Amino acid sequence: MKPYAFVAGVGVISVLALGTVQAVAADTRKELRLDIAPGGTVNVVSSSGSVTVHGGAGHQVVAIYTTHSSKVEVDQSATPDKGRVELRTHALGDQPLTGDEAKVEYEITVPAGASVTVSTATAPITVEGLTGDVMLESDKGQIVVRNVARAHVHVRGVAAPVSLADIVNGHVEVTSSGGAVQMVNVSGSKVSVGTASGNITYRGDCSGGGSYAFTTHSGAIDVTLPETASVDLTARSVNGAVQNDFPLEAKAHPSFVPKSGSSFAGTSNSGLSSVELQSFSGRIRVKKQ
Amino acid sequence: MNCQQFQEVLPYTIESGGSAEEEEHLRTCPACAALVEDLRYIATQAKLLLPMHDPSPRVWTGIEQALRHQGLTQEGRLSLMGQTAVLPAQIRSWTPVGWVMAGAALMAFSALLIMYRPQLPQASSSAQNMSAQPAPLPADDQQLLRGVSQRAPDVSGAYEDSLREVNVYINDAEQAVAKDPQDAAAREQLLEAYQQKEMLYQMATARSLP
Repeated sequence: MKPYAFVAGVGVISVLALGTVQAVAADTRKELRLDIAPGGTVNVVSSSGSVTVHGGAGHQVVAIYTTHSSKVEVDQSATPDKGRVELRTHALGDQPLTGDEAKVEYEITVPAGASVTVSTATAPITVEGLTGDVMLESDKGQIVVRNVARAHVHVRGVAAPVSLADIVNGHVEVTSSGGAVQMVNVSGSKVSVGTASGNITYRGDCSGGGSYAFTTHSGAIDVTLPETASVDLTARSVNGAVQNDFPLEAKAHPSFVPKSGSSFAGTSNSGLSSVELQSFSGRIRVKKQ
Repeated sequence: MNCQQFQEVLPYTIESGGSAEEEEHLRTCPACAALVEDLRYIATQAKLLLPMHDPSPRVWTGIEQALRHQGLTQEGRLSLMGQTAVLPAQIRSWTPVGWVMAGAALMAFSALLIMYRPQLPQASSSAQNMSAQPAPLPADDQQLLRGVSQRAPDVSGAYEDSLREVNVYINDAEQAVAKDPQDAAAREQLLEAYQQKEMLYQMATARSLP
């Protein structure tokens, strides 16, 4: 081997090793254990990275987070009565952070009955197995909520895709401008979804005798119901097409006169739950599962 | 693709089927879908104007024999009918009148394709053409976006897009309410549109704070 080739090889290996060491050194993983009062609230504010919240046992909030830069830190605070615990990603200094520098990954476990509030810019939010209220908002990060029972679930997004699954006896309100909203087995006393251009997809039985209202401007609405669904359903679109492939009985006294192709109304079984689908220019389709 | 771009390539779309982009536009734009449906119907009807084949001489002969057998015709008239079957002009499969009608139908259809400009609903039109030539945002929206751009530039594009969409939403809903103030659904749409804008302002303001 020629001497300059040997020197170059050693140089490259040294640079790679140094970079690896620096990268590892910049990744900081920490664990926090914070007491919280029964029924207290956990508030998380972060920009990018990810936030995942699970339901757990005990009376403490356990937060494991990883930062990737010395330019950010996680502030923690709690009210004296432990009724509210907050975790907030905080930039050190006035220098703007790059996307990677601003990332913080949170893994949080909260006690049963605790409420959770999460706000992010681009970080995806995943929440599962909670029994307390959930309030989530993100500009662009995907929002996923799974296995939540007897709770308020409020979601707001700008361009954030929203996915809700297995939410029982919930009070669900979703407002999303451009992000699509997907729901699978979501039921409760109120399920309200509104978008400007995001599509709305629902698959489930609309059970519980609740009020289900899906409204969009230009997004599409697709609802898939089992034959056993007990719904009083109306669908109306100002300029979009409306299609029904679900067996409905015509209502004796509809609140409006259905117009073929742009609206329909009817009931199935005993019509326990109210389902209202409205769009301005998006198409609406209801079909049998 | 917006409505204007789609309609520029419409004759080719009708003739040879559309591209994936054109098909996508067709699925999402009720106005253009209705236009294409109308034109396809016209094309179908125009084909019916094409000249027809005259029946074979054997048909005339068969009818002649049947009528004679039942005693419903006289010999003289039958001979006339029989003569028509062997006239040189009738041996041709296309009649001149048919050719003229076909030509007229094709010319009318071509002229329709070239000249047709659908009267789209204003709201739909504004929404579909939004991407081609975005309208300037109101001053309040621009001020809001400046704040977001300074503090969170990576999400300012999402806010701008959403503000435009919501403004179109409000405009459409306001027109629907003005058209029929008793329309409960239109009023609900207007309320929903304002709630969308309220949400955007709340979130953008929070994102703009130091």
